[in-house]
Amino acid sequence: MITVDKLRKEFKKTVKEPGLKGSVKSLFKPKSKKVIAVRDISFEVPKGEILGFIGPNGAGKSTVIKMLTGILTPTSGSCTINGKNPTQNRKNYVKEIGVVFGQRTQLWWDLPLRETYGVLKEIYEVPDDSYKKRMAFLNEVLELDDFISSPVRTLSLGQRMRADIAASLLHSPKVLFLDEPTIGLDVVVKDNIRKAIEHINHHEKTTVILTTHDLADIEQLSKRIVMIDKGSKVFDGTISDLKSKYGQIREMYFETGSKNAVEVLGYAKHFNLGDDDLSVETEGNAVKVRFNSSAVPVSDMLSYTLGKINISDISVKDADIEEIIRKLYEQGVE
Amino acid sequence: MKRKLKIYLPFVNAGMQEVATYRVNWIFFMLGEALSCFVTYFIWAAVYSSGSKESMNGFTMPQMIVYIVLMFLTGTIIASDGAFVVGEEIRDGSIIMRMIKPVSYNATFLFQELGNKLPTEIAIAVPMIITVEIIRTVMSGMFEFNVLRLVLYILSCALAYLINFYFNICFGFIAFVIKYLWGANMMKNVIVGFLSGMVIPLSFLPEAIEKVFLFLPFSSLNYTPVMIYMGKYGGTELLYCVGLQIFWVLFFFGLSKLLWKASVKRLSAQGG
Repeated sequence: MITVDKLRKEFKKTVKEPGLKGSVKSLFKPKSKKVIAVRDISFEVPKGEILGFIGPNGAGKSTVIKMLTGILTPTSGSCTINGKNPTQNRKNYVKEIGVVFGQRTQLWWDLPLRETYGVLKEIYEVPDDSYKKRMAFLNEVLELDDFISSPVRTLSLGQRMRADIAASLLHSPKVLFLDEPTIGLDVVVKDNIRKAIEHINHHEKTTVILTTHDLADIEQLSKRIVMIDKGSKVFDGTISDLKSKYGQIREMYFETGSKNAVEVLGYAKHFNLGDDDLSVETEGNAVKVRFNSSAVPVSDMLSYTLGKINISDISVKDADIEEIIRKLYEQGVE
Repeated sequence: MKRKLKIYLPFVNAGMQEVATYRVNWIFFMLGEALSCFVTYFIWAAVYSSGSKESMNGFTMPQMIVYIVLMFLTGTIIASDGAFVVGEEIRDGSIIMRMIKPVSYNATFLFQELGNKLPTEIAIAVPMIITVEIIRTVMSGMFEFNVLRLVLYILSCALAYLINFYFNICFGFIAFVIKYLWGANMMKNVIVGFLSGMVIPLSFLPEAIEKVFLFLPFSSLNYTPVMIYMGKYGGTELLYCVGLQIFWVLFFFGLSKLLWKASVKRLSAQGG
């Protein structure tokens, strides 16, 4: 159980004027400005849930994760994980959690992977027999066998990420924080990692907080999303909530022989649509129209299009989650 | 205590394996050290040959040579990269990877560095001590090796290392404020080198200054162990100096804990 209550983090940032003159100036009289990275965010995560924590770059996702893992001290507000405050008694708290920062590694760069797990075993006081069982299990889920004897610095990114996730799970944590665990990985590895996370969540009731830019991660793993932007929470709910709330966007796709179909059609003028509700892309004969179905019913759109020009192939589909989120990121949420 | 050791021993092991990985780097590093040892020797040889006195401030030429060699040996034994490593980890943010583990930040460094250093120390200390004894016997005609002094020297070196380690950790935490430590670190090394008698023996300085320097923590680094090995300290003076070393260990240990607590709140975990 995770409770986050009005969590806030401010940083002081030194501001440097451009150029050499600015550098000299800031050397003697540094100016700083207050940056609010996280603005009074509150949410709760029940035990055993996988929470998708998303937001555009620089939204403050990592800062929140760092506060939840006890690395950063909040400016105000609080977070409680299984009744514990992360910044008080850090050593005691981190025994219960597993953390993966996709852009960093917790493995010893120069040691063979196997040795790293040996070190972690001692750190977390995992008894011999459960360590053996655990390693066998992780081996099976994450397929570490091929590279477990190689030094970490020689591993590929995908191997390293699997090894990192295994390292965060060695002590069977109650809560797992994954900060971009699929960053830079190929489709197959991504899929394996998602399956492993799902497996562990299912079998051990591990609570997972997952940040990612790959929305397929979210769609496959989590039912619930918390979205933040510029440090504030902008959405909290299930994926279907998100779709029904913001998902009036439909995508119509057709092919036509007419040369200047788009001009002939003139959707914007005909339906009186603004830029928010309509976008049209053409590529050769193919045209993709994205429109807001609450402004123009799908049937109207179809009959108008079919009546106006010759069409060889047409389809309409729901915008996928990616589309919705792209729109939210671009416009912000009111 | 036994449990604690069990947690931190793997760090010693990890440190040792790191050195094994970068053997060539290590060899070049040692060559560099030996080279600067020779340079210092030639400077002092010139000083002694131009002067008329046989002994300067209580140091004869053979003693000076012994002093130089021991200074470099001790310097290598007690060297600590702490400031640099801590500074780098703060700068690139990788310090957070240590914070998510249920271990003491300072202790992981200490044990990792010990693992890094132990092979080095054994590999150079034995031949260097033998060299020192040969030089001393040849130049002064007397065999002065003393087991008790060697034992005290090792003990004093261990204390000096701990002072140096915790001092460097404290210094490294400055990176929380100034973000990049390279310049400050260079300056610190020069100042510490002078204050610890690396450049000239502290007894060459005016008496008032010498007294101040002897109390400062830096003389507890290289100077005290070397003077003990050379047999310049006896009885109460020796007890006082070792006592002072213990005081500075505790001082910097406590300070590093305080600074860690204070600076962790300032952590902004740069990048990512």
